[in-house]
Amino acid sequence: MAPFKTIRWIVWKDVVIELRSRETLASMAFFALIVLLIFSFSFSMDQRAAHEVIAGIIWVAFAFTGMIGLGKSFSAELPHDCLDALRMAPVSRGAIYLGKVAANVAFLFAVEILLFPMLVILFNLDVVEDLSLLLVTFFLATVGLAAVGTLFAALTVQIRAREVMLPILLLPMVVPVMIAAVEATKGALNGDPPSLYGPWLELLAIFDVVLTIASFWLFDVVMDA
Amino acid sequence: MTIHRVIRGVQRYQGWVGGGAALCLLAGLYLGLLGSPPDYVQGEVVRIMYIHVPLAHTALLGYTVLAGGSVWYLWKRDPVVDNMCHAVAAISACFTALATATGMIWGKPTWDAWWTWDARLTSFAVLLLILLGYLMLRTMIDDPDKEARYAAVLAILGFVDLPIVHFSVEWWRTLHQPQSISLRGVSIASGMLAPLVLMSLGMSLLFSYMLMIRTQLLYLHRLLDAKKGRLLSRFHAPNADS
Amino acid sequence: MNAIACHGISQSYGQYRVLRDIDLTLARGECLTLLGPNGAGKTTLLNILATLQRPSEGYYEMLGMNGRTDRDAIRARLMLLAHGAHVYDDLNARENLAFALALRDTHPTDRDIKLALDRVRIGAFADMKIRHYSAGMKKRLALAKLMLARPDVLLLDEPFTALDPDGAALMRDHIGERVADNAAVIIATHDPDKARPVTTRAGQLRHGAFREIALEDLRADGAV
Repeated sequence: MAPFKTIRWIVWKDVVIELRSRETLASMAFFALIVLLIFSFSFSMDQRAAHEVIAGIIWVAFAFTGMIGLGKSFSAELPHDCLDALRMAPVSRGAIYLGKVAANVAFLFAVEILLFPMLVILFNLDVVEDLSLLLVTFFLATVGLAAVGTLFAALTVQIRAREVMLPILLLPMVVPVMIAAVEATKGALNGDPPSLYGPWLELLAIFDVVLTIASFWLFDVVMDA
Repeated sequence: MTIHRVIRGVQRYQGWVGGGAALCLLAGLYLGLLGSPPDYVQGEVVRIMYIHVPLAHTALLGYTVLAGGSVWYLWKRDPVVDNMCHAVAAISACFTALATATGMIWGKPTWDAWWTWDARLTSFAVLLLILLGYLMLRTMIDDPDKEARYAAVLAILGFVDLPIVHFSVEWWRTLHQPQSISLRGVSIASGMLAPLVLMSLGMSLLFSYMLMIRTQLLYLHRLLDAKKGRLLSRFHAPNADS
Repeated sequence: MNAIACHGISQSYGQYRVLRDIDLTLARGECLTLLGPNGAGKTTLLNILATLQRPSEGYYEMLGMNGRTDRDAIRARLMLLAHGAHVYDDLNARENLAFALALRDTHPTDRDIKLALDRVRIGAFADMKIRHYSAGMKKRLALAKLMLARPDVLLLDEPFTALDPDGAALMRDHIGERVADNAAVIIATHDPDKARPVTTRAGQLRHGAFREIALEDLRADGAV
């Protein structure tokens, strides 16, 4: 089957299931909200200090929330051995990988968009001037997180202590993505001229490409015997 | 069962490698600690360089071997290669931890801080995290075949990731503080070169020696498990119990 | 050309040897019923043949393709009916069939799916989420999947458990139909009585070793 069709079927399946159960989206959104609330309790900040830390807070919250969504995307394949069915399917593993990445990006990005108004309220953000660039930042960083995260979710779901191992393996790998995301977010929140933090976005795009290609290739080893 | 030819080769040469390591390290230590001049800027403090730099180089070399071995394993699926990778990871983790620690000790008097977000320090911290994750991952899988595959996946992705980490941190710091305290470009006095080269060579040989011993150990362990299995299954032979 | 040819397949987990030196060939149009007590290695053997795991030693060929290198091509020709039903709880029967078959590049029409569900007599529940299905209904759904996919090699792990007599008869009839249609079938079961009418060869796994047995010796207690 054409790989594109496989990708579409995988995304269709994940999205339909999610829309019916709403398990992942609801738990992610709620978890992220709690993390943000705790941060806003623990730093009572004035506006200026807020801008310096807030980008970091956003990405800590999003990264940990991402762990939930990414972990779920493969633990949902465990009941009735659906993972085995995927592993036996005569389709390219790369197509399965890309389908899962697409679904994960969609879910994570949806939660990020959903939470953005909360962020504005909780941290008294001025309405960001360059909203589109901030959204691009969110999107690119989410792709990077999901690219490696999907590979490691597929890996850790097949071993012991998977809930613990996913963040332990994933977080060190996405350090560069997080650095770039935080810097670009900071720039966008500060209202800096885009030329100042634009390079971080380019860097994010490069990271996305490199990490996706490497994970795409390695996914085959994780899924096949 | 015959002993794997790689292991036979290891057994033949390990003594030479170990001896070479001891000689190089002793000579290097003597020259580095006693026989070389103190640094013009850093004084006696610089002598930790003779430990730190070779440790760091060897740790990086070790990770390169790990990544290469992992690709090799995925290609050939030879269990001995997997044993080698497992051994490399454990020893690299030790070297990386020591390199980080000596780096911090060196940093205190020279930069007046145990830790700075220097690109190399940060890369080493991430490298250490990846190696520890790698070793932990290996304890979480029962099927040896799967353990080998997944460990290889992690090692290879880490190898792709590390330059990215280094690059992004370097960029991040230079954007913040253009004059980063870096040792790059510091020329090395000729009296310091000999001990540095000797120590680097010695550390690499020590690494190889430890690698040979540990690979052998892991291999023999697996051999023993298989032998035990054969012995056990003799007790449960198809005709013995019906 | 053999449908399945195992050459010295062994599997060990650490010090436990689950399969020992399996040499087994099966031609197309043959149905092998495989007996063996729990832990004899039946499921492991089927998993290896279904490309889910690699044997520690040995290799196999399926329909002339190498089990080590032509895995994708092999996957397109075989199907494994496993303990897990390979269905998603939050999709209904139709959607599950459509998804599973789409991954096999088979695109049945809604009518095909409806007909298959009717044949296994769960047509009335076609739009019900699998979450509310009983084990027997899931097995019938798996049978519907087999009917629509019509693979050349069927690996059936306990195909009769959870099925009522009517369901078991449906399963058996389908197997018989496929065998007549020149497919190769391996049935791993503790219930040889249900499999006997379609069985052409019988074998036994014991402590990981395979032995061919006579058809008359195909008995539920497995003692030969």
